[in-house]
Amino acid sequence: MSDNRTLLTDMAAGLFADLAGKPFAEAWPQVAEAGFSTLLVPEDAGGFGGDWGDVLAVLRLAGLNALNAPLAEPVIAHYLLAKVGIAAPDGLVSISVPGSRVPYGRHAAAVVHVAEGTLSLYHADACSFDEGRSPAGEPWDAVSFTGAAAASAACDVDLQALGAFARVAQASGALEAAFTLAIDHVNTRVQFGRALAKFQAVQQAMAEFSEEAAAVDASAAACAAALDYGHASFEIAAAKLRMGIAVDRAVPIAHRMHGAIGFTIEYALNHLTRRLMGWRSEFGGDAFWAERLGKRVAGLGGHGLWREMTARTDRLVG
Amino acid sequence: MQIFPLHPFRPEGDIPALRQQVRDLVAKYEAKWPVELRANCWFSFDEEFSKALGQAGLLGMTWPKQYGGHERTLLERYVVLEELLAAGAPAGLHWIADRQTGPLLLRYGTEAQREKYLPGMARGEIYACIGLSEPGSGSDLASVRTSAKKTNEGWRINGQKVWTSGAHKSHAALTLLRTEEGSERHTGLSQMMIDLDTPGITIRPIIDMTGTHHFNEIFFEDVLLPHDALVGTEGNGWKQVVAELALERSGPERYLSSHMLLVALIDAMGPEPDAPTAQLIGRLTAEMWTLRQMSMSTIAKLAAGEDPVVEAAIVKDLGNAYEQALPRAVQAAVDADLAGKSDLSRLLSWILVASPSFSLRGGTPEVLRGIIAKGLGLR
Repeated sequence: MSDNRTLLTDMAAGLFADLAGKPFAEAWPQVAEAGFSTLLVPEDAGGFGGDWGDVLAVLRLAGLNALNAPLAEPVIAHYLLAKVGIAAPDGLVSISVPGSRVPYGRHAAAVVHVAEGTLSLYHADACSFDEGRSPAGEPWDAVSFTGAAAASAACDVDLQALGAFARVAQASGALEAAFTLAIDHVNTRVQFGRALAKFQAVQQAMAEFSEEAAAVDASAAACAAALDYGHASFEIAAAKLRMGIAVDRAVPIAHRMHGAIGFTIEYALNHLTRRLMGWRSEFGGDAFWAERLGKRVAGLGGHGLWREMTARTDRLVG
Repeated sequence: MQIFPLHPFRPEGDIPALRQQVRDLVAKYEAKWPVELRANCWFSFDEEFSKALGQAGLLGMTWPKQYGGHERTLLERYVVLEELLAAGAPAGLHWIADRQTGPLLLRYGTEAQREKYLPGMARGEIYACIGLSEPGSGSDLASVRTSAKKTNEGWRINGQKVWTSGAHKSHAALTLLRTEEGSERHTGLSQMMIDLDTPGITIRPIIDMTGTHHFNEIFFEDVLLPHDALVGTEGNGWKQVVAELALERSGPERYLSSHMLLVALIDAMGPEPDAPTAQLIGRLTAEMWTLRQMSMSTIAKLAAGEDPVVEAAIVKDLGNAYEQALPRAVQAAVDADLAGKSDLSRLLSWILVASPSFSLRGGTPEVLRGIIAKGLGLR
């Protein structure tokens, strides 16, 4: 854990709570101003010098508050640029992997693209965006590079996996927030003469909801530990897949608990559940990660799977 | 409120070497274990292997040396346990003594009881079972009626226990009894360690739906026990039992019951499976990997002196759901001959039928979710 984690999370918790419900145009300048983009950039390069545990903590808070601004994207972009020794441009830098849309592409000053072992930095004037929207209304823009890269370097990082980790981290926060809304609702909403929480059927459903939020929390934390160790390809594949399962099971419960109240645009729940449904598809959906992980496990063999899993946690000890 | 903050699993000692020790031991004995036995390790009996585990210092691992234990940490024991379960090693004989009865005697037992039972349990030679359920008392354990009456000669026991796993292979039964006549519910209950060769005890088999004999009925007819058969405090039995049940909730046994089938599936499909099969393997792996993180976190919390009641119930409920869904998912995806001779066919056929039991032992989903809801402040 970085020494400054508490300071960092206190600051993020306060700022993101203030920005909850605010549009991109208000939220992004304040997020940028706070300097989160350089979270993973080493201190001697002018960054915060944080670790992946810090990234998880901050992204979790962003998810919890349904932050209307990119955060994972500039954090990862600045991390990669520092890693390969390319100076980061001013303004928002987003990320691009082949076959995926660029989150907040239209607002970006530059895009970091990684494909086939090469990182390329494109300025906005070298990009053309086909604009689209996520289920939650976030800008999801397909990019074509119409000009030359401003800089390139060899890069063996799996950018898609880092993006997937970011969505797992955000989902862990969004699930907690949706769960908290549901708890508050069933404790206060009275029907048939008693609070909904007093019905056994409601208790059972809420317990199931908590299990799914717990699974994503645990898998996100295990990914961050593996990333800080240096290798997390197995963990991220498993965690993104588990997040897909959790969204599948938990989102319907969240809405069932709320009835029609939760289906309105004014009520906060939709900002969480629409994001969760979108993130499930971003940076590789269930089928993509299931096939990739399954093929890897097939290569390990039946007992090899257990040996690999145990070796991957034993390496973190000592 | 974060529901499941991950607690780091940081055991002391050379963990890879400890794993290797278990794997070597399994390799020495596994040739004689048919796949059905390996898919049913809670109720598979191999006395030679239980004794070998004892000799290797892998039973009673956390107990004090003066009682034959090895003073290893809870986390080291966890590593051994998950290795044995992942390998499908038979645990039916030593399981209860090592996991529950031994620790309970250490906590509540008299000096004489500890000296009498623990060293043999740690050697893999003395086996125990747990007498809780009765014909009219299953999930509602507080309604037990089997009685112990204090007399000048000792305790007089009358009544019947049922669903007692492994009683026919055990030397002693840690039994919950009503020691106060006329008492109701959680009061007036006590635990006693009953040697099963005591006159007046009859053990009858109940065959389960897989055809296996592990369940039993135990009848007590005017059984006379010495006064010092009492474990812990008279009237404190309910509290002691609840503590005992908490020991059995979050372990690796809660998600690994079907693991041998996953192993067989992966091997049968070969190193280059088609996309749908690869996706199935990937999904099952993702769930298992997550459960392992959660289970390790929970034992680490327990080892740090916390009481993760909700986390343990979450691990068990999710774990049982996974290990029960696994055979159904394999059946749906693979065109398997359920009467076939391949490992995959035999394991699938066996585990499909065995899997309903996974969410019975230690609490059904409904019971567990009730515990979780209570922890969440909903009850």
